[in-house]
This record gives sequence, C-alpha cells and structure tokens, in this order.
Amino acid sequence: MTGSIRIKWCLGALVLGFVGLAAAFLGDLWGHPPAHQQIALVDKSFLEQTPWRRTYADMVRAKEDMSDFDCYGCHDQKKPPPLRFDKNSILIVPEEHKDIVMGHGSHNRNNLCYNCHNESNLLTFQVRDGRELKFADSSQLCGSCHGPNYRDWEAGAHGRINGYWNTSLGAARKLDCANCHNPHNPHIPTRKPAPGPHALRTPVYEYQASRAPNP
Amino acid sequence: MTPSASTPPPAPPPGHDPDRRSFLRSSAAFAGLTALAASLSPLRELGDYTSTEQFLQKYYKEMTPEDMKKVLRRITNEVERQYGIRPHVRDLRPMDGVEFVYALNLTRCIGCRKCVHACVAENNQSRSPEIQYIRVLKMPHGSMDVDKGNHTYDDKDVPDPGYFYMPIQCQQCKNPPCVKVCPVNATWQEKDGITVIDYDWCIGCRYCEAACPYWARRFNFTKPEIPKDRLNPEMSYLGNRPRKQGVMEKCHFCIQRTRAGRYPACLEVCPVGARKFGNILDPESEISYILRTKRIFIQLKEEMGTSPRFFYYFDK
Repeated sequence: MTGSIRIKWCLGALVLGFVGLAAAFLGDLWGHPPAHQQIALVDKSFLEQTPWRRTYADMVRAKEDMSDFDCYGCHDQKKPPPLRFDKNSILIVPEEHKDIVMGHGSHNRNNLCYNCHNESNLLTFQVRDGRELKFADSSQLCGSCHGPNYRDWEAGAHGRINGYWNTSLGAARKLDCANCHNPHNPHIPTRKPAPGPHALRTPVYEYQASRAPNP
Repeated sequence: MTPSASTPPPAPPPGHDPDRRSFLRSSAAFAGLTALAASLSPLRELGDYTSTEQFLQKYYKEMTPEDMKKVLRRITNEVERQYGIRPHVRDLRPMDGVEFVYALNLTRCIGCRKCVHACVAENNQSRSPEIQYIRVLKMPHGSMDVDKGNHTYDDKDVPDPGYFYMPIQCQQCKNPPCVKVCPVNATWQEKDGITVIDYDWCIGCRYCEAACPYWARRFNFTKPEIPKDRLNPEMSYLGNRPRKQGVMEKCHFCIQRTRAGRYPACLEVCPVGARKFGNILDPESEISYILRTKRIFIQLKEEMGTSPRFFYYFDK
C-alpha cells in the first residue's frame, strides 16, 4: 500500500513538474535571450549598378526627347557662335550654358569649346586629326588625346564592363567614358560612402577608433 | 457523489458517467501528457537547425546527380518555408579551361563601400548580426602596411586626400591554408580556382577562420537574419543559399553568377571600374591583359606562400 502511495506521489510530482515547465515555456517566463542590436538595412541607392552619368548614346537608345541637343534651335547655322574671354583670357560660359562647368585638366588650356565641338557643324565633334564624330561616338574623341587610357579601355582594363565575362553565354556592356566622366569637368567628384561595418563596441575597438588617422 | 466512490472502481457500465476517481486519473494523465508535450516544445525549433534529410545527406563530392536533385529540392522547400519565396537553386560545376582571377586597381578605388553592400545583397549574408565578406581599408599614402589601415572610417566624402583604399576579401589562394586545416574536408579548392564550403558538411570548428591570413572567413554565431524582401532567389549549392547557425562562410567569387558566365556582384556595382575579373587561361581576357601590362604591385602577404588569385595593381 505504502509503495503504491509513493508511486502516486512520484507521478503527481512529475505531472506537476511538467505542468510547471510547460507553463514556463508557454509563458516564456525567463524571456528570450535579449535581442541583439537591430542594424539598419543599407539604403538601396548603394546597391544601384546604374552609372553616374547618362550619355547622349544612352538617351538615343532610350528614345528620349533630344530637343535639348538641337543646337541650331538657337545658334545660327551659317556662323559659328563666337567665344568670349575675360581679361585673364578665361572662357566666359554664356548664360544659356550656365550648367556647364569648365574644368578639363588642371591647366586652363583645354577649356575651349572648339577643341572638341565642331564649329562648322555643332551637331558633331571634331577630332584634331580632322575626323568628324557623332555625339554617340564620344569615347573615340576622348581617345584622340588620352591614348594610354583609351587603349586600356578598349582592352577592358580601364572603366566599367557589366554583364557577362563569358561573352558566349551573354552580352557584356562596356560603358563609355562619359558614363563616368563629365567631359567638361572629367575629374570624378567625391561622394558619400556606404555605412561601414558595425564595430563591436569593445574597449579595444574604441581604442583603435580613437587612434584612427581620420577623426 | 456516486455510491461506489469508496469501493474499488468497477468498469463503468456503458452509457454511464465515469466515476470521480477514474475521471481525475484520466484527466491527470491527459494533463501530464499535454504538459510533457508542451515542455518539449522548444525541440520544435530544432527543425530550423537540421532536418533528418540534411542529417543523412552525403558528402558533396560523393553525391550522384539524383542525390543532388533531391538535396536541391529540399533546400528549395526549406527556403520557401522560411522566407515565402521560391528560390532557383542550382549546383553549378566548374567550366573546362577556366581559372578565375581577380584584380583590383588601387589607383581607382575611392572607398565608397558599394562592393561591400552589393556582396551582402547578392550572397544572402545575415543582416543582423552583420556579416560582410569585403573589408575596405583606408590606408595612408606611402605605406602598404595593412596594420595602418582603418576599416571603420566614417567620412562624409570619399576619397579622402592623402589616403588610398584597399578592399580585402577572400583571396582564393592557390595554396589555401584554410583547406589544409579543415578536419572534415568541408572546404576545398575547385578546379576553376574557387575555394568553396559545403555548408551542410561544416561542423563549425572555425579552424579555417584561424588559419586564414586575410580574415576572409566569417562565422554564423547566431541564426542569420535576412529580410524577406532582400533575399536573392538566384542561388547555388556551394554559393549563396541561406546558411544556418554554426557554419562558416566566405567570398566565393559569386559562384552562382561567375559559373553562369556573369561578372561578380562587387565588380558590377563598382562605380569607378576598379574591380576586374576574368579567366586567366584566356589570353584575350581583360584580366590577362592587366596581368601582362600593368604594374601588379602585390599579392597580399605574399611571404605567406599562399599564392592568392587576387591581385592588387596600380595604373600609374
């Protein structure tokens, strides 16, 4: 008799134990481990593959409104627009072309419209060797002066290529010079970097950050 | 209440209410079983860590095409259950006559860190905690000492004058120390030069992380978290399929892209074209041109004898 009572007590205690455990799990009594610090997702603009600039060729391909490139809407076909200079012989950009910043090269010698634009036909470029080029072929114009870079670009070592490295499986798209460089001001501007890694805020890291070369 | 409460309970006649004792007993047994089941409820989450199928899965190199099909189906279903998106999981094999090499132009890199985040987006790394395969070091001019680099720089604008930027990721060594130390052969070098990891074979000992001189390997200390709308459904077995807690991962040259003929994600997003990738066995490829004509400055930590397939070069 005492044996069976003991068994009953044991079973009862077990049941109670399980009920307690179940209550604890379901009620989540001790709580989940503290959630780690939520890290903000990176802005999707940093994932964009689109080049910085759109070229004339891009606009033609996208069948956009090209009326902005109709030079003879304003200029006279017969006589090329004159260039005006200030007293330091620096080109004065006319009011109508105020959006153009002239900064080609560290000197001022290349800030002349007709080094590239063709004064006898404003709808084309002129190369120093006498060739006439369409706006869409601007990279060849750049190459007429920047030989080594043009050679590298043709070989794929300078500039961007997107798509397929194996051209038997798909197309590769080589971007033009003007997709990255503004022809009037080709130096690539500085920009905001994407967020850095979330450093673990241990004393070691803070020590390193305090010694970092940049504030 | 019933007159027979004190006598040993006979089986209740059919159609009668059960007596109090047997009611209590059966309800106690029921409560006990329920409680037992409930107390084991945390075990349900075990399914997130490993399934029976995965547990019994064969080693990657021993799988027959049928086995692989089954495994890919399992992964597809698991990802769909977890993220609600049906992925396209493939097992891409190396191409013949292809050996991948990466080159990075230190003259061009501006340190914008777009590659870091394009890599995270492409390869389904955990967003919280954060796992990134690429580290961009900001280094003062005139030194190649990586100890002087700072990878947590937080400038308003880059590039900062007086500094250059050096992104570091898996160097896909020809003589990889990480492969040598793996006790279970869960990581190995494929014939196109990519060192891969079988996430289902990895035991998470982290020897490879310790062996890598480039800090290229990352460990999933917790369950990776990827928001559903950021999951890349184009996956491959050895590449960017979602990992689980307790396994190693690292850059694999975007195996799901490069073995299908495409450029890696970090290259395509690079705004200045500093990153170059291709087949070194093809003399016409841009990577062959670069290695032939450019000033290849370093293979990082050359003296370690790891012989990286990742080259840093300068334009001028």
